[in-house]
Amino acid sequence: MHLPALDIAFDVNAAVASHCFVTHAHADHVPRDRRMKVYATPNTAALMRIRGFVGDIQELPFFEVLELPNARVSFYPAGHILGSAMVYVESDEGTLLYTGDCRRPAAPTSEGFVSPDKVDVLITEATFGLPIYRWASHEELFDQIRRFAMDALNAKETPVFYAYNLGKAQEILHALAPTGIRAQIHGGGYPLCQVYTDAGIDLGRYEKYNKNTLAGAALIAPLSAEDQPMVTKIPKARHAYVSGWASNESRRQQLNVDALIPLSDHIDFYKLIDWVTHLRPKRTYITHSPTPEVVCHFLHKAGLDAVPMSQEFG
Amino acid sequence: MSTFLAFVEAVHAIAHTRGSKAKTQIAADYFRTIVDADELETVVTWMSDGAFSQLSGRSATVGAATIAQAACRFLDIDYEAVFRPSKTATGSSSETISRLMEYLPSGCSSRQPRNLSVHEVMSLFEDIASARGRAEKEAYLWAAWKAMTGLEIRYFLRVLAQGSLRIGFDAKNVVSAVAEVFAIEPDTLRSAWMLTGSAGHVARLCLEGQLDTAQFELFRPLAFMLASPIEQKKVDDWSAYVVEDKYDGMRCQLHGSGAEVRLFSRDLNSISESFPDLIADMQGRDLPSVVLDGEICVVTEGIIRPFQWLQKRMGAKKPAKKLLEEYPVQFIAYDILYHQEELLIDQALHKRRAVLEALSQSFTIPLAEQYPLSGEADIDRYFDLAIGRGNEGLMLKRLDSVYEFGQRRRSWLKVKRPGGSLDTVILYATAGSGRRGGTLSDFTLAVRVADDDRFEQEWVPIGKAYGGYTNDELRQLNDALRPLIVERFGPTVAVQPKIMVEIEFDAIQENKRTKAGYTLRFPRFKAIRWDKPITEANTLKDVEKMHSEG
Repeated sequence: MHLPALDIAFDVNAAVASHCFVTHAHADHVPRDRRMKVYATPNTAALMRIRGFVGDIQELPFFEVLELPNARVSFYPAGHILGSAMVYVESDEGTLLYTGDCRRPAAPTSEGFVSPDKVDVLITEATFGLPIYRWASHEELFDQIRRFAMDALNAKETPVFYAYNLGKAQEILHALAPTGIRAQIHGGGYPLCQVYTDAGIDLGRYEKYNKNTLAGAALIAPLSAEDQPMVTKIPKARHAYVSGWASNESRRQQLNVDALIPLSDHIDFYKLIDWVTHLRPKRTYITHSPTPEVVCHFLHKAGLDAVPMSQEFG
Repeated sequence: MSTFLAFVEAVHAIAHTRGSKAKTQIAADYFRTIVDADELETVVTWMSDGAFSQLSGRSATVGAATIAQAACRFLDIDYEAVFRPSKTATGSSSETISRLMEYLPSGCSSRQPRNLSVHEVMSLFEDIASARGRAEKEAYLWAAWKAMTGLEIRYFLRVLAQGSLRIGFDAKNVVSAVAEVFAIEPDTLRSAWMLTGSAGHVARLCLEGQLDTAQFELFRPLAFMLASPIEQKKVDDWSAYVVEDKYDGMRCQLHGSGAEVRLFSRDLNSISESFPDLIADMQGRDLPSVVLDGEICVVTEGIIRPFQWLQKRMGAKKPAKKLLEEYPVQFIAYDILYHQEELLIDQALHKRRAVLEALSQSFTIPLAEQYPLSGEADIDRYFDLAIGRGNEGLMLKRLDSVYEFGQRRRSWLKVKRPGGSLDTVILYATAGSGRRGGTLSDFTLAVRVADDDRFEQEWVPIGKAYGGYTNDELRQLNDALRPLIVERFGPTVAVQPKIMVEIEFDAIQENKRTKAGYTLRFPRFKAIRWDKPITEANTLKDVEKMHSEG
């Protein structure tokens, strides 16, 4: 996402503008050019460095205003994962908010979700931009996670949670923390946990995956480990797929898992429509959605101007 | 009184449990809570067959399009803008509707779930089935939805559709669960099921302590034994089989006793009315009590005529005299299931055959010839002879096999001439890698469903062909397709349905996971039909017919 007039860009792969902002540390938002200069929140910066980013990261804490020649830029908490930010831009052309990935209500393992009171232009993600997506509360979903783990362990089976190494994995650890259940996490996710605990988030009894001590613990691994020995060699296991996509029944057959737990780190359709209709931007652009027209359709019905994000924006 | 919600919760728990043992346990625990015989018969039928038992031949006959449109109006949403993309994401109309009912404010405010009883829901199914026209059916759908939770609506629609509940638990599993409830040997119950043709009825008999009456009754059809395509099974000992011609007719079960004769089709429906000539002929023979399995064919001048001749008769419920004279039919017997108070289904084929041959001699009933098989090499010779006689192919039957209802095992194998051809339309094309890199070389072909109530779209994919064309044809095809591209998904492009391809294939196979419900074996290009308009493409109904006649 590039705004040439302001010479700034968000979540780009190369230094296309003088000032590039990274909203959060998921791979599809971090530049492929690992050496460029970017702005990020301190927690995002820490996560990016662990994941191998070696460029110059200018740390910009939430709500702190960066004065640039053409604009004033600040980060707002996006509620998606730890460090995740929305970018708020004030310029002569008005105000603009770029959400990156966001979640409302915020993931309990993030810094929260805070929206500016007013924006002229909103560029929002709509990964789950269909009215079939409405999330249960975190309490309810965390309960499902805890119950799944306890039931499996009581039956002397290993609970395996399929979840992304960054964000979802730590959310599951946080959900399990009050139960005292020991949890092992995939090597790709383990070092990232430190950033969470440093931020004061309770991740409970977690340790790095070790096949010799796995018995009696829960395992958290990305879905890509499904056919890897770390999962296939477990003598008795129960598998849960933890993702917003787990809300679709078809995933059960596709993945052959015991449980689908629809815990998402993205905003659901209803919270999105609700937020945008209260924010009332002059124009809303929908991005990161396979079906942007559906969100636009509902926003139009609420009397708002909304269009799918197109290439020629900016 | 048992509630629909209790049924739905049991079914949903089954869906969310892995392993057939655990699933059976849930079903059994649920069935145990039901004390009323009517209710038990109803819920077992819902789980095994659908809203109505297959035996009844009834169905609600409400199409997917009617249901989707009714839901859109109920929810006050636009079909194209909201429903279609949502359904594409879930892949299931019932799941989409149930979620929108729960989530959309319009869905919540128009419903007041009031915990309907099993009886109430059954009467709703009856109402929908007997309603005429879309508007009336829609009114009953609305009435049902208004009183249900989202989850109830999901399974209400699946039971109504008379298809699979999609919970990984089929009719056989349901019967096992009933067996567990009443502590009866699963095999005993299974045969009672086969004899009565209804899992729900068997459950009722168990509850009433009347299982011993689940016996065969003359003039009540038995489930048919089915054959597997020979390509699907490995045969070790050819000499264990005998060969018969496979007739290109209509499968039929004949029940007779003296002046009383009745005919049943493969779906266990009575077809006596369509064949009064055959009934009269058989009545004249004064048969002992028998059940015969065989084929109805049109025979004139001693020659078995093609299936198309028989089709003239199949549609006619009350055939006119002229039709009877022009297309006279015969029943050609190849099996006997019951003879003079004795059920023969558990006897080996060669024993049944001996009884059948004796009967055929005494009552001059046409009989399918049987030939011994010594090895695989014989098959080609017999096959050519059968085709020469105008028949469809061969049936291989194991001499020691019992009559197994509904099974597609190795006992009966069918050998048929290579499938056929279809006029299809290109929907998607994929660029291959390697030698054909960049050239669109794999083609997804579709049949027409524009006039098919069950579908909302105009085309459904039926197969993927990547051969059979010349290099010249491929080049022409690429030139013609490029301007038709409407969307790209990686190496695959969606194109406007404009180009017709005649394809050949080996066989049509049922495949529940595809939209069409069928897939083709080895589809390949026969010709690109630049000359034909796409409206003349074959329809899914054509495919279904080819399959059922195969």
